[in-house]
Amino acid sequence: MARAAVVQIPGVNCEYETARALEAVGLEARIVRWNEPDSVWSGFDAFVLPGGFAFQDRIRAGAVAAKLNAVDRIASEAARGKPVLGICNGAQVLVEAGLVPGFRPGHVELTLAPNRAPRREGYLCRWVWVRAEEGPGREWFARGARPGEPIPVPIAHGEGRFQTADPEVRRRIQTDGLVLFRYATPAGAPAEEYPFDPNGAMLQAAGVTNAAGNILAFMPHPERALWLRQVPIDMAGDWGERRRAAVGTWGSLEGPGPGRVVFESLAARLRPRAAIGARA
Amino acid sequence: MSAVLLSRLKITDLTAWTALETGRRLLGRDHTLDRLAREQLFLFEPEAGGNADVFEGVLGEAVRHSNFFVNPNKESYRFLASSERGAEWRPPEGAWGILTRSRDDTRDEGLLQRLLREHPLRGLGAIRKARVWWLWTRGPGGGPDVGRCYAMLGVLRDSRTGLLVNPHGESALLIEGAVRWEKVERFLIEPAPAFRDAA
Repeated sequence: MARAAVVQIPGVNCEYETARALEAVGLEARIVRWNEPDSVWSGFDAFVLPGGFAFQDRIRAGAVAAKLNAVDRIASEAARGKPVLGICNGAQVLVEAGLVPGFRPGHVELTLAPNRAPRREGYLCRWVWVRAEEGPGREWFARGARPGEPIPVPIAHGEGRFQTADPEVRRRIQTDGLVLFRYATPAGAPAEEYPFDPNGAMLQAAGVTNAAGNILAFMPHPERALWLRQVPIDMAGDWGERRRAAVGTWGSLEGPGPGRVVFESLAARLRPRAAIGARA
Repeated sequence: MSAVLLSRLKITDLTAWTALETGRRLLGRDHTLDRLAREQLFLFEPEAGGNADVFEGVLGEAVRHSNFFVNPNKESYRFLASSERGAEWRPPEGAWGILTRSRDDTRDEGLLQRLLREHPLRGLGAIRKARVWWLWTRGPGGGPDVGRCYAMLGVLRDSRTGLLVNPHGESALLIEGAVRWEKVERFLIEPAPAFRDAA
C-alpha cells in the first residue's frame, strides 16, 4: 500500500481530515511533524501539505513554512517524481517555496495574493465550483474527472488569488496547461466573474501544477467534500440533486462526495508505483 | 503633501519576532540581525488640487481620540501632519528599512468610506496603506552591510533568498538613510513598476 505523509507544520488545522481522506481512497496516511529527521521523508510515496495557518500566516501565508528543512526534503522527493498536494495553506507554502510552477526550480514565480472581488474583501468561506482542465497534472490529481464536469468544493481563504508579476511565467502557465483546476459556474463553464470566480485569480486558477504535473497547489479543500453528506442540501446542479436524493439513506450519504476525485486520482496513480516499489 | 500615520504594536509583535528568527537563520554566521520591527503606514492623500491641512486637524483628532486607527492598549503611533513631517523620513537610529506596498492599487476604499461615515471630514481623497520593516543588521566589517542583508531578507527570489517581500504581490522601496517624502508618496501613488524593471 502506498504511504502518504500529511505534513503537520505548526498552525495547520486540517491534518486529521486530510489523513482520513487519503485512507478513504486506500492509501496509508501518516501525520508527520515538520521537525522529523531528514531520513523520514524518503520513506513516503506521496506528500500532502494540509490547510490551516502555518506559523499563523506571519509575514505572509506560507512564507515561513516555505523555509523549513522539511519542505526542502519534500522538494527533493518531488524531484524524484513523487507527488505533492498542497491544499489551501499548503498551496501557499508550495508557491512560496518555488515548487509551483517551478519553471526555474526553487525560484518563486507566483504569489497567492489577497482575494479581490467587487464590494468585498478579506476571508471567504463557502462552496464554489471548479472544473479540471487538460494538463500534465491530470494523471496525478484529476484523472477521474470528466472534461468540463463541475466539481463543487469548499474554499476558505483570505489570500487565494494566484498571481504573477512576470508576464512570461503567466504565458507559460497558460500554454503549458498548468492550471489544472479552474473556477467554474455550476454548469461547468469557466467562471468569468464573482461569485463563481471568488478571488480574481489569474486565468481563474483554483489549482496550479508544476510542469511535470506531480505537484499541485490547490486552494479549495477537497477533503471537506469527501462524502456526499458534506454537500449542502441546497446546492445547485447534479451534486445537489444527489445530496437531496440521499436524504434519509445513511448508506447513500456515506457515499463519495465531489472532492474525492482528487484523492482517488492520486491513489490510482500511486498504485502501480507502490507495487513497483514493493517488488524492488 | 499628504499626512502620514505610522502605527506599531507595543505589545510583543509575534510576526516581527518570527521574521527576526527566520531572518537570522537565512543570514548565516557572518551577519547579525539584532532587531526587527514592523510598522503600518497610512498615507492620507488630499483630493486632486487640494491640501492636507484642510482635513488633517479633524483627522488628527480622530487618530488621537478614537480607536478608529489605533487601539492605544496595544499600539503606539506617530501622526505626522503635512506641516510637521519635514521633507525627509529618517529611519530609527541604526536601522534601515523596507517599505512594501501591494502591486494592486494601494488605496483602501473601504477604510476611507468607514472613516468618512464615523468622522466626517472634507478634502480627503484617499487612504493608502503600506508596511515598513525596520532592520538592525551587522556585517563582517561591523557596519550594517545593507546590500547583502537586503538581498537575503528583502525581496523573495528563491526558497533560500529573500523573505519579507514577495515581488509577485508586492513592490519594495529600500530605505537606507533619509528618504524624501515625495519619493515615498510617488512609490505609494504611482502604479507598481513592471516586474522585470523592479528586478
